[in-house]
Amino acid sequence: MSTLLTYVAISDGKIKRSSLEVLSHCKSIADAGGFSCEAVIIDENASSFTDDVQKYGASKIYTVSGDAFSQHQNGSLLKALTKVNESVSPALIAFASTESTKDVLGALAAQLKAGVVADVSSFNFDGSKVSAQRPMMAAKIMGNVDVTGNPILVSVRSGSYDLNENPSTAEVVSLDVSVDSDDLRATLREIISATGDTIDLNEADAIVAAGRGVKDEEAKNLISELASVLNAGIGASRALTESGVYDPSLQIGQTGKVVSPQLYIAVGISGAIQHVAGMANSKVIVAINKDADAPIFEVADYGIVGDLYKVLPPFIEEIKKIKN
Amino acid sequence: MKFIVSIKMVPDVYAPFQIKDGELLMDGDRMVLNAYDASAVEEALVLTEKYGGDVEVVCIGAAKASETIRKALAMGAAKGYHIQTNGDEAYDSSSYAQILADFLKDKEYDVLSFGKQSQDTDSGLTGGMVAQLLNLPYATNAVGLEIEDGNLIVKRQGDSGQEMIALPTPCLVTCSNDMNEPRIPNLKGIMASKRKPVESVAVSDMNLDGAALEAVSKVTSYSPVPARAAGQKFEGEPEEIATKVAQLLDTEANVL
Repeated sequence: MSTLLTYVAISDGKIKRSSLEVLSHCKSIADAGGFSCEAVIIDENASSFTDDVQKYGASKIYTVSGDAFSQHQNGSLLKALTKVNESVSPALIAFASTESTKDVLGALAAQLKAGVVADVSSFNFDGSKVSAQRPMMAAKIMGNVDVTGNPILVSVRSGSYDLNENPSTAEVVSLDVSVDSDDLRATLREIISATGDTIDLNEADAIVAAGRGVKDEEAKNLISELASVLNAGIGASRALTESGVYDPSLQIGQTGKVVSPQLYIAVGISGAIQHVAGMANSKVIVAINKDADAPIFEVADYGIVGDLYKVLPPFIEEIKKIKN
Repeated sequence: MKFIVSIKMVPDVYAPFQIKDGELLMDGDRMVLNAYDASAVEEALVLTEKYGGDVEVVCIGAAKASETIRKALAMGAAKGYHIQTNGDEAYDSSSYAQILADFLKDKEYDVLSFGKQSQDTDSGLTGGMVAQLLNLPYATNAVGLEIEDGNLIVKRQGDSGQEMIALPTPCLVTCSNDMNEPRIPNLKGIMASKRKPVESVAVSDMNLDGAALEAVSKVTSYSPVPARAAGQKFEGEPEEIATKVAQLLDTEANVL
């Protein structure tokens, strides 16, 4: 029986929700096609996450633990995934498309001589090939892609699938992987984390995104207040991360993060295609911009033509009222 | 340090296109240097201008791709390699990586630099594949590069912050377009580029295993992105329309 193996990513001591979305989808493919749905966790404390992963239907969970996996390093992750592949011989390995995944996917495919397709928005597996859809040309078109190989590696955009609990009792198998300096080769000196305890954009249900129209502290404060009322993550267009107004990790777009929250509020964002490529799959899009012809209005479900300084205060007040 | 930057000619994502019977129809003349590769070229130029060294570029593509090589030479690269294809091959990331790895295996360099993805397909696989095939330490998604004691210091945008990574040379790095604004070639650069050497080799003369170049992923067809339902646009008194939209988010969209 073919095995569909989902790599469950851990970041900052938490399971990435997007990898549970992928696991939920693999479970439904496995049930429909008679495949085995399994998962692997690679983290310094991998075994502490098995209970949460079981809820999503994996029949077997592999854990790889050790200090080498406390921070993302491509050398250690590659070594671990190579070993896991040897032990499990899966037909397919599915990943959430995080920056860590992007860092190893190509190298892993070359190492395993695997078929690979990255950043898909949907996929299926028929026992021999993966058929996937992926946005191309700055998300202006969809490419329908067939991939063969053994195994086949697939990475999936966050928000492509719903979480679907499917409690199972999984067998937990611990695999030993030792990592030495020959595996790492590169030296991770430090991680500069500027985001602190802000909400992870890939996981957020709501995002307030700031663009060029957000010019001063007053506007930034309005953005923060709106985000706080909605319990939303704060994102920014490339213009604002490049000029240093917001941290680069908050950039949304083709170059930065690709997000798909339930609610996306674009404030002072004109809507260049590179930005839209990163947020067009959001469920509900609100745009606030004083330029009535801004392209962002073409993708917005609700467009407010107006000055953000005049629009945001009553907007925030009304949402507060509704929330209470 | 010596940099070899891998560059690609890609369709201009701003060019109009049509999808007809699953096929993508675009103006074949609207081709540009991939934006991420342009940033990789720029950063290599900045570092070699500061610390000394050379920048060469390598490009796989049909005859027309020579324009893209000239663009990089006009920016300031010293030499180009053109690995020529017929233009009708259905290569995927893996095919490109096999060709590049074979071509680069006997070349001398300190750093192989790539754009982190190509702006038409956004796969972002080729750089990592080449690193693995050539057994090089590597880092992806660089937003800053420095040289220190013979190491390449990469600032990488990761999931939870910016990772500072030291790579011993030879190494490979893939670049984001966030690290710089690629220079626009000036007239002097453009004139100089015409005298710079470009070595050409045909893929068919490279003694590569044809089966290894076969694409494992194939685009079978293209479809339009499902259109979003037409939205509502509100103009008028700011307080009135802001309140109205907030209420609609609650009662109509049900997202509050």
